[in-house]
Amino acid sequence: MTTQSTGYAFPFFSTIGRRGEAFFTHLGKYCSLMWWMVKNLSNAREYSGNIAQQMVLIGNNSMLIVVFVATFVGMVTSVQSAYQLYAWIPRTVVGSLVIKSVLLELTPLLTALVLAGKVGATITAELGSMRVSEQVDALEALAFDSISFLITPRILAGIIMFPILVVFGDVMAVLGGLFGAVTISHISAAAFISGMKSSFEVWDGVFGIIKATFFGFTITSIACYQGYFVEGGSEGVGKATMGTVVLTCLAVVVMDFVLASILL
Amino acid sequence: MILIENIWKQFSGKQVHRGISFDVREKETLVVLGKSGGGKSVLLKMVIGLIKPDAGRILVDGKNVVEMTYPELRALRFKFGFLFQGAALFDSMTVGENIALSLRRHADFAHGEIRDRIDYALHIVGLDNVQHVMPSSLSGGMKKRVGLARSIALTPRYMLYDEPTTGLDVATADGINLLINELRSSLGVTSIVVTHDIHSAFVVGDRFAVLEKGETLMTGTREEIQNSDNEEVRKYINSSISPSESGHA
Ligand SMILES: Nc1ncnc2c1ncn2[C@@H]1O[C@H](COP(=O)(O)OP(=O)(O)OP(=O)(O)O)[C@@H](O)[C@H]1O
Ligand SMILES: [Mg+2]
Repeated sequence: MTTQSTGYAFPFFSTIGRRGEAFFTHLGKYCSLMWWMVKNLSNAREYSGNIAQQMVLIGNNSMLIVVFVATFVGMVTSVQSAYQLYAWIPRTVVGSLVIKSVLLELTPLLTALVLAGKVGATITAELGSMRVSEQVDALEALAFDSISFLITPRILAGIIMFPILVVFGDVMAVLGGLFGAVTISHISAAAFISGMKSSFEVWDGVFGIIKATFFGFTITSIACYQGYFVEGGSEGVGKATMGTVVLTCLAVVVMDFVLASILL
Repeated sequence: MILIENIWKQFSGKQVHRGISFDVREKETLVVLGKSGGGKSVLLKMVIGLIKPDAGRILVDGKNVVEMTYPELRALRFKFGFLFQGAALFDSMTVGENIALSLRRHADFAHGEIRDRIDYALHIVGLDNVQHVMPSSLSGGMKKRVGLARSIALTPRYMLYDEPTTGLDVATADGINLLINELRSSLGVTSIVVTHDIHSAFVVGDRFAVLEKGETLMTGTREEIQNSDNEEVRKYINSSISPSESGHA
């Protein structure tokens, strides 16, 4: 029945067709939400009061887990690099490998994936429950611009905090790498550090920070979109939250590849 | 003066409104009566532009809400107080902050003045010493009253009440009814009240609009609807008047 009414000859294509249609509908709504936000960025009064609070929330919620993950990633990178090296390759290479992979890829990506779950899910659940309990309507009824009030500060806080978290993560990952090299792989600290210095480039760190900025925007904006437009009560909030985790992870890995292709 | 003209609305294929029309005159309280799920809450939201009708006009002070730009809508909402059916308190803020939010944003009050206004607004809905309480620890009826305090804090010209007395005990409900009347007589507030509580309806209502199957079945004063020979209207009034239902519903 649906196949006929939508004009597709086979159910398979009809499914793809409907999915595609839904995707573009969502994309359109997402873009107009972002456009509304950008258009109203000049009314700083609407959102400035909430930015600091959101930054603290993201920082408080995530610093510990980011530092934890980054430290272990640094250690494991170090140990596995040492394991892969032939005996005749100088051990200083381990330091070079660690600093490159950590700054360029590992810390930004893994931080983003961890925060996709943590920050993204929190935002969607929070905004979603505000939507279904009519708190968003109540804000509008009190003559507030609910998008500027709720969404703008969350996205700005994400754009500001993600790079900061990644810088912390970078430092911890390098220290973790050093620790792993010295304790497990029996490489001297001096050798590790000299290897690190020989291949360190400022641009690598900057690239990681640029990525973090994009990830921060992507995760918070998708999460806000998902939460702001929740339908169907608390069940809808649960579904949207799940959707956020999946969507943000996918968006992050795709964006990771795109940014690397463009910027490197 | 609010004029609701031939409102149509459907949600994903379900026709909720089929040409609703009524008017609310200056400084009067109009009570909307109708079945659960009949689209009363949606109608209130349309009046301040939270939901757009598919067709029809809503005129407030002669201007069509349906065609307003966002800045115009915000200016309009500034004149309205809205009591939501579920109170819709901001649950990440204390009761005091809920009320302070719009006072801080939309008016130039000194710090002490804001505190006094919060105290006063809470006092007239019969709540004292709850400023620092989180909404989650309030009962349903208390939430409703905080919602009412929040909506009157900026002394609106228009009030929209979505079931103001639902879930309240008789004494508190009577207090709310008095407050609604007080706002009209002392401040000249024009109001729409949606309620299932027919006792409350007759205490606060100047005129009544009975909705049925998405249409306006009848509008009129208490006498007019009580003496109506329309079967449906009388059935509604009589069934609602039974003591088991008044006060709850
Ligand atoms: N945002 C929405 N999306 C989809 N459907 C909606 C939406 N809001 C309301 N509806 C539907 O519109 C109909 C009318 O809802 P409304 O809340 O206005 O009823 P009501 O008259 O206030 O009922 P009650 O007396 O129980 O509060 C319901 O069937 C509801 O499911
Ligand atoms: Mg309702």
